[in-house]
Amino acid sequence: MLYDISLKITYDYEVPVSGGRHLVRVLPATLPGRQRLVVGSLSCHPAPAERTESIDFFANPFTSILFRASHADLTIRMQARVQVEAQALTADFSPDLAGLPAELAACWSVDAEAPHHFAGPSPLLPEAADIAAYARDTATDTMTVRQIAVALCDRIHRDFTYDGEATTVNTTPAEAFKLKRGVCQDFAHVMIVALRSLGIPAGYVSGFLRTIPPPGKERLEGADAMHAWVSVWCGTTAGWIELDPTNNIPAGTDHIVVGHGRDYGDVAPVIGILKSYGSQKTKQAVDVIPVP
Amino acid sequence: MPKKQTAAADHPGTDDDPVFGYRALPGIADEMLDQEGNVRPVWQRLLATLGRLDETELANRFARADRYLRDAGVFYRVYGAKESSERSWPLSHIPVLIDEKEWAHVSQGLVQRAELLEKVVADIYGENRLVEEGLLPPALVASNPEFLRPLVGVKPADGHFLHFVSFEIGRGPDGNWWVLSDRTEAPSGAGFALENRVATTRAFSNLYAESHVHRLAGFFGEFRDTLQSRRLHPDDRIAVLSPGIANETYFEHAYIARYLGFMLLEGEDLTVVGGRVMVRTVAGLKPIGVLWRRLDAAFADPLELNQSSHIGTPGIVEALRAGSVSIVNALGSGIVETRAFLAFMPAICRHLLGEEQKLPSIATWWCGQSAERQQVAANLDRMVIGPAYQTRPFFDDNGQSVLGRTLDEEARASIADWLDAEGGKLVGQEAVTLSTTPAWVRGRLAPRPMSLRVFAARSRDGWHIMPGGFARIGSGDDVAAIAMQAGGTAADVWIVSDRPVERTTLLPAEESFTRNMPGSLPSRAADNLFWLGRYIERAEGALRILRAWHGRFAETADPDLPLLKDVSDYLSALDIDARQPVPDSLLANISSALFSAGNIRDRFSPDGWLALNDLSQTARKFHATVQAGDDATRAITVLLRKLAGFAGLVHENMYRFTGWRFLSIGRYIERGLHMTRLLGHMSGPDAPDGAYDMLLEIGDSVMTHRRRYNVSTAALTVTDLLALDALNPRSVLYQVNEIKTEVELLPNALVNGQMSPFYREAMRLHSGLAVMTPEAMNLDVYNRLERDLENLSDLLARTYLG
Repeated sequence: MLYDISLKITYDYEVPVSGGRHLVRVLPATLPGRQRLVVGSLSCHPAPAERTESIDFFANPFTSILFRASHADLTIRMQARVQVEAQALTADFSPDLAGLPAELAACWSVDAEAPHHFAGPSPLLPEAADIAAYARDTATDTMTVRQIAVALCDRIHRDFTYDGEATTVNTTPAEAFKLKRGVCQDFAHVMIVALRSLGIPAGYVSGFLRTIPPPGKERLEGADAMHAWVSVWCGTTAGWIELDPTNNIPAGTDHIVVGHGRDYGDVAPVIGILKSYGSQKTKQAVDVIPVP
Repeated sequence: MPKKQTAAADHPGTDDDPVFGYRALPGIADEMLDQEGNVRPVWQRLLATLGRLDETELANRFARADRYLRDAGVFYRVYGAKESSERSWPLSHIPVLIDEKEWAHVSQGLVQRAELLEKVVADIYGENRLVEEGLLPPALVASNPEFLRPLVGVKPADGHFLHFVSFEIGRGPDGNWWVLSDRTEAPSGAGFALENRVATTRAFSNLYAESHVHRLAGFFGEFRDTLQSRRLHPDDRIAVLSPGIANETYFEHAYIARYLGFMLLEGEDLTVVGGRVMVRTVAGLKPIGVLWRRLDAAFADPLELNQSSHIGTPGIVEALRAGSVSIVNALGSGIVETRAFLAFMPAICRHLLGEEQKLPSIATWWCGQSAERQQVAANLDRMVIGPAYQTRPFFDDNGQSVLGRTLDEEARASIADWLDAEGGKLVGQEAVTLSTTPAWVRGRLAPRPMSLRVFAARSRDGWHIMPGGFARIGSGDDVAAIAMQAGGTAADVWIVSDRPVERTTLLPAEESFTRNMPGSLPSRAADNLFWLGRYIERAEGALRILRAWHGRFAETADPDLPLLKDVSDYLSALDIDARQPVPDSLLANISSALFSAGNIRDRFSPDGWLALNDLSQTARKFHATVQAGDDATRAITVLLRKLAGFAGLVHENMYRFTGWRFLSIGRYIERGLHMTRLLGHMSGPDAPDGAYDMLLEIGDSVMTHRRRYNVSTAALTVTDLLALDALNPRSVLYQVNEIKTEVELLPNALVNGQMSPFYREAMRLHSGLAVMTPEAMNLDVYNRLERDLENLSDLLARTYLG
């Protein structure tokens, strides 16, 4: 599939800010065999005083921008054309839960994609007893790791209600779990904590999702949003698979990857540090348009 | 202790009881007594000295050491359940003495260890061969909170990760030294070691002079020179980066910075521009070449590291990627402090250096591996079990470790399950009993457990070990009570030679010296100085008004008297309740002054700090006890005297440079505002009876008025003296004059020969007031003057303090 993706993030500051430094992670990644960024650009208004491009530990590209002049609003725009390849569904080569620790221990690596980074708690995802009990309740001894992941994905999708008002970007997975409500970030975080509690390494994927309008309706412009789902390590042979608990589907050609990390904090679209005395309003508009 | 007649210093053993009944504990090594119970030779001179001194003399000497520490303002911070407080430094007066030949062996071992740690850190943030070759379990890196992913692949600007490290070492029952933990993140204690040395030599000056004790200054001098040589540009500054005044060892940060002549900065002082770390100073942004950080690495950059950090500098990691600054030690170095790493050090040492560890690590088993788990479970009685990712040694980790032999039957039965479930998070360590050293307890020497913190610094020719260190002494027999937070004490460590030692000092040689001008003043320090000046003056202004009020109230006992009513109204506009002799807002004011002063403590003499603390404590006491009227005037007089005492100390001792100017301008602006407002309120045509006399009293100008004007008080003479007399240090014009003089000398007052907006405003204010006559002064003029002074304060903040 070929997509044209555009993203516009705007910040309105109640009191003009005197400057600031931001990290921006919004450009789709190039992942050999799966996804290719044909062309992409990032622009800001006002224009930043400094701008540097870097690659983070998990191999995600990011842009650092610095503002020195005072400004009352900020617009970040991203335009990209991305080619996404369909992934063939393989047979389930993953071990059962009892077999996973040995495969994990045999993996002597701390490279970016090594499962060890995703096995323990991460800054935004501490252990949570409720979620661990929920996970134990979902998994049985005879299931493979992949079956457990699929079952958790399905169960979270059924038990949780998608609700854009119930949570914020700072809601913890334990809170979202109590509410049984939230957005893609909450669904993904709960599923990651659940998997890790069983000893299954799991990571956070940020990106875009192509949405298909209801039959007979026009696609609404800017109606999409950035999306998040889960990557699961299913052992040495099976490797990583990606599941989307918000929609209860494996990540496929509708999912366009921006970044991989341990949790939202590793791949947040914009991290900003600024001196500000007032509140701010943020708006995000996303269009994912298939190119015929 | 009775006065003793010792036969000869060299042969104290001939006396009846040379060791004052000191006995080593069974099965435990001792620093003073060898395994046969004989006094080690290096201790004999100390024992002889102790034998010559009677109890009173000894007490005097120990008091002298304590007084030194108090006068030097040495403190550390203790954290309670709710709040923290400052404690004076708990010195154990008897130093720990170690023979230089034994020390040479320890030093060799620690140099090897420092080299090894450097290679391990470089590998973890570089190629990661240790994990790939199976020498380090991947989980210990990937699940380690000290592993800072953004630093992976970032090479230090000068090629080295570690520059200044410390080791906690202890002597086991067999007499050999063990490494208990490595400190590579931001090791503390070197400055305290220096202060312990100075204090201990106050108690034992003769003994120290005769004892051939290795000096510490050379070690610090070499490190300072090394850091200076690491700068890429000669103009780059070197700074100590502190987490701030709330930190446990803030005193030391300030002390080290002052001792070595580096700037003392906090994250807020820094900004990153064009990939370079810059310090905000009153003279603009200045580049930083080397940062010796005392801040935990994760807090250094809220953008790429811990996002919740309020004490970091956004962009520091980017500057490191650009290779423009050296951070000592490199961010992320703390990972090798992890307790579980000790289990793998012997094999890593063989692998990387091709040799055995010269100084062994304390035996450690990481319970993430099944054979190790079984080993720990089977030998529970000899084990301490604690958190694998903890970076502090077991006796200093706030009780997170458990001693196997203290577990009850129930706990023992479940230990294997616990290890199986949580193994990856746990380590077992051999429960070594540390050696004891003599401490002076209730008039005699008593054995107390001890661990040594030893420091290593990288110089241009390799690692140097400080000849000495910092001994931590337990408060009882219990090894777990060594930590100072648990009531332990600290002692100096003397490395004793049998020959005279080299005497180094950090003072330059006599024949040539350069006069180092103070570097640019950081804006935050200027801000604190400016506000300290304003708060102090504000407190004085309020106290003067209150004293005058209570003096009159004592005479009439009628708060509704027009004059008293009028002044009460004036005070209530300033949020001061006149009937409270020491009002709440005044206490708040003094607290603010104390806070500002605390932030720039390195710029004050300890005397000034003590004076300000004394003022604050007295004000608090008076607040609770003093009654309105005469009692209040007496109390306020005491407070004013203490304020004058502080001001005097500052005036007499503070170097007349940029910092001084900001403090002074703060005082002048506040005093100008005080007098302007007061004149506007009280010198008008409808001023109540007695207002002029009260004004003169508040303005401390009664005598001058009597001498200068042969008339009774009148609106014009009072206005002349308090507003326009350039020779009266309380007048408004005097303040404006002084402000103008100081502003001329500030950095960038003139840019390309043109006055800065701030300078121009100060000039304008001055000329406007200088040409006024008493007749022309009215409420409008005073109001305008007040606005102008406030505007000047804002302009100063915008120009220099942003």
